[in-house]
Amino acid sequence: MSAKLADGVGVARAEHFETVAQQREAATLGIWAWLITELLLFSALFLVALITRIQHPEATVAAAKHLKFWIGATNTVVLIGSSLTMSMAIEFSRMGWQRAMVRAMLATAALGGLFLVLKGYEYYADWDEHMMPFLSHRPFALAETPAARLFVNLYYVATLLHALHLFTGIALLLGMTWMAAKAGFLSRHQNWIEVYGLYWHFIDLVWILAFPILYVVNR
Amino acid sequence: MRPPRATLNADDRALIRKRLRTPVLTFLALLALLAVNVTLGATLPFAQVWIVELAVVAVMVALILLVSMEVIHEPPLIRLFSGLGFFWVAILVGMTLTDYLAR
Amino acid sequence: MSASGSIGGTARREPHAPESTIGRKADYLHAESTLRSWFLTTDHKRIAILYLASITGFFVIGALAAGVVRLALVVPNGAIMTNDTYNKAFTIHGVVMVWFFLIPSIPATFGNFLIPLMIGAKDLAFPKLNLTSWYVFMAGALFTLVSVVLGGVDTGWTFYAPLSTAFSNTWVLPALIGVTIVGFSSILTGLNFVVTIHTMRAPGMTWFKLPIFVWAHYATSLIFLLATPVITTALILLIAERAFHIGVFDPAYGGDPVLFQHLFWFYSHPAVYIMVLPGMGVISEIVPAFAQKKLFGYRFVAYASIGLASVTFFVWGHHMFVNGQSDLASLVFSALSFAVAVPSAVKVYNWTATIHKGSLRLDTPMLYAMGYIGLFVLGGLTGLYLATLAINQHIHATYFVVAHFHYIMVGGTVLAFLGGLHFWWPKFTGRMYSEPWGRVSALLIFLGFNVTFFPQFILGYLGMPRRYATYPAEFQLLNVLSSAGATILAAGYLFPMLYLVYSLWFGRKAPANPWNAKGLEWETASPPPTHNFLSPPEVPRIPYDYPIQAQESRDQHG
Repeated sequence: MSAKLADGVGVARAEHFETVAQQREAATLGIWAWLITELLLFSALFLVALITRIQHPEATVAAAKHLKFWIGATNTVVLIGSSLTMSMAIEFSRMGWQRAMVRAMLATAALGGLFLVLKGYEYYADWDEHMMPFLSHRPFALAETPAARLFVNLYYVATLLHALHLFTGIALLLGMTWMAAKAGFLSRHQNWIEVYGLYWHFIDLVWILAFPILYVVNR
Repeated sequence: MRPPRATLNADDRALIRKRLRTPVLTFLALLALLAVNVTLGATLPFAQVWIVELAVVAVMVALILLVSMEVIHEPPLIRLFSGLGFFWVAILVGMTLTDYLAR
Repeated sequence: MSASGSIGGTARREPHAPESTIGRKADYLHAESTLRSWFLTTDHKRIAILYLASITGFFVIGALAAGVVRLALVVPNGAIMTNDTYNKAFTIHGVVMVWFFLIPSIPATFGNFLIPLMIGAKDLAFPKLNLTSWYVFMAGALFTLVSVVLGGVDTGWTFYAPLSTAFSNTWVLPALIGVTIVGFSSILTGLNFVVTIHTMRAPGMTWFKLPIFVWAHYATSLIFLLATPVITTALILLIAERAFHIGVFDPAYGGDPVLFQHLFWFYSHPAVYIMVLPGMGVISEIVPAFAQKKLFGYRFVAYASIGLASVTFFVWGHHMFVNGQSDLASLVFSALSFAVAVPSAVKVYNWTATIHKGSLRLDTPMLYAMGYIGLFVLGGLTGLYLATLAINQHIHATYFVVAHFHYIMVGGTVLAFLGGLHFWWPKFTGRMYSEPWGRVSALLIFLGFNVTFFPQFILGYLGMPRRYATYPAEFQLLNVLSSAGATILAAGYLFPMLYLVYSLWFGRKAPANPWNAKGLEWETASPPPTHNFLSPPEVPRIPYDYPIQAQESRDQHG
């Protein structure tokens, strides 16, 4: 834990901990332990995409070329921006600037929401282009290349899983923002913002991996 | 440090500059690296460009991990935990590849 | 309070209780008795009891399913039940025993109860998360049991594609969802343990003063965190394949069923170490106590725990030697599987060396521990046969495999669970169980177990495949013997359920330390007060500070 906390900013000790430092350390270690599990969850999916690429290179490239590269790229910009606003929220929480922190948290949630809106539009464009092979009533655009169907389905599994995490993240963030706006929050629960921030940065990190692995390297 | 009043005075502005310097620089660096990858992906200058693209991704991941998530300032235990997952992913991928690359 | 002192050694500090807390109301079991106080508890000890009750229930379900299997195999021609019923029976036996009994058994009951006590803490790091893990566990169980009630699953606990994804007509989806959910329960438990052990040790309680039980659970928790997410992905893909036919495990769409096996076994091999390591932790506590002798080679045993948790991730392909994976992969996985036997062997040697020249008392926990060591060795050695590529070709998917893992899971883990249950029963409940009944049951279980499973090694060697409802007639004698053993084993399991419950009302009240054992859990009352210690516990000078401290190469008189 690097930065200094402003006066009046801190953590209220829970009764089973001996010291506040112990409590902070436990919370930080806990979120990192959780993030390890999230990393392995997504990496297993990326592995499947990698194996698909190794076994069916042409079909994978054909499928990847139909992905909405520019929407994906824009979404990456959006998430990188949301990481900035989340970092700002963390800094403001350390400085004790509660209103600025709340605004930064809302901005983060808004950018996350923007990602989901763009993703929704992207899915609509995929549907329109007959790129939803799991819809049996809508003939798949690349039906002559069976492995392309697989890669496209993997794209959906991976991006849906990420979107689920993002959606859950936004919901948690909004709940936390509502609590964080109350008087006295920063004197009792400042480290919640830091712990949550690690989760948000991680959602960003997963997308930083997913966008190239799905959209870029397979072109 | 009391919260700022409605308008920021010079001290507040200096504080913002100091505290937000790192997040903003990281943001710009990530955007720049993304721009590199997007350009490479759109133009595809040579066949093995994916190696460069993945290298760029590695740098972006390192930036987020070390700077945004402040791992570089954390005690050894946290640093271990932040790296442990990646090492285990390497086991998963590497040993699975002993099958798929050698069939 | 209690009058039991230690033999020699340091004077024991009895907790000096203020007047108002002497008496049963002060302990965690009797503090509050409303339903709400149990089902909304955040006390790690009560959560441990919630888990104990639920896993016992699931054990009974899994055991009944095993009974159905053994019943069917009394005749070679499958006349007793349909093949479908048989397939469902062994599937439910596996699914329930693996995920709803073995994996949570020792960690979620003994680990939850004892880790804070052993490290001198008031609770785990995240008490509410602990309760959440139990509810998640029960939610997963609910889904799985729904699939049983609706008609069962017939894919085996391994859910291999394409049977599970394309051909099975049974209730695969609810079962898959149930297992996916229960995985989160174990992740939360592992997370809680890791953080607790790192951050909440009492002042002076350094890593190398911790009981091996704690080391073993730390190692297990690392596996929980690193392995479970991968099977979550595997199961998600399986669900997507079965529900939406995405093609990931279907060669017609460029998929590969072997890829499912890679993802499945990346978790499931380390999972067997989740099922084994905590048991080793239990044995490491029982043996020194009943030899009254310091654990031999403490640091080796501690490092071996971490070693097991690491190397276990490098061997999963030994479940896949015959499925068409590359020869290179098979070679690498086979060689590393030999390596993973080493840390287990280190532990066995160290327990044996602890027993050597110890002052032995053959009470029930020690009977279970000694049974464990013998049976685990047999199970472990037969693993080496299975790891040998040439031999594996012949015994893969035969009863040799079935016997191998039952020697470890039942002869090992279940015996460790029962040994631990008896060892810590006074601590959990404040009551002593009937020692004669305990010994009889232990011997009955040991006998019943061997009659059930030793014939299966022979059957496998002779070529009887597993998961088949019928078999060649010449194997019937050994199968009948095995089924007979199963009834003895069932009787053996029944007795503890009866006399342990009996002891809750009629057992002798237990002192704080009925076994003269070392460890902080014995320094507090039986049962412990809600906040574990009435005054901060005194951290031991060394771990396993038993009267006999004999070193391996020194002949000393204490």
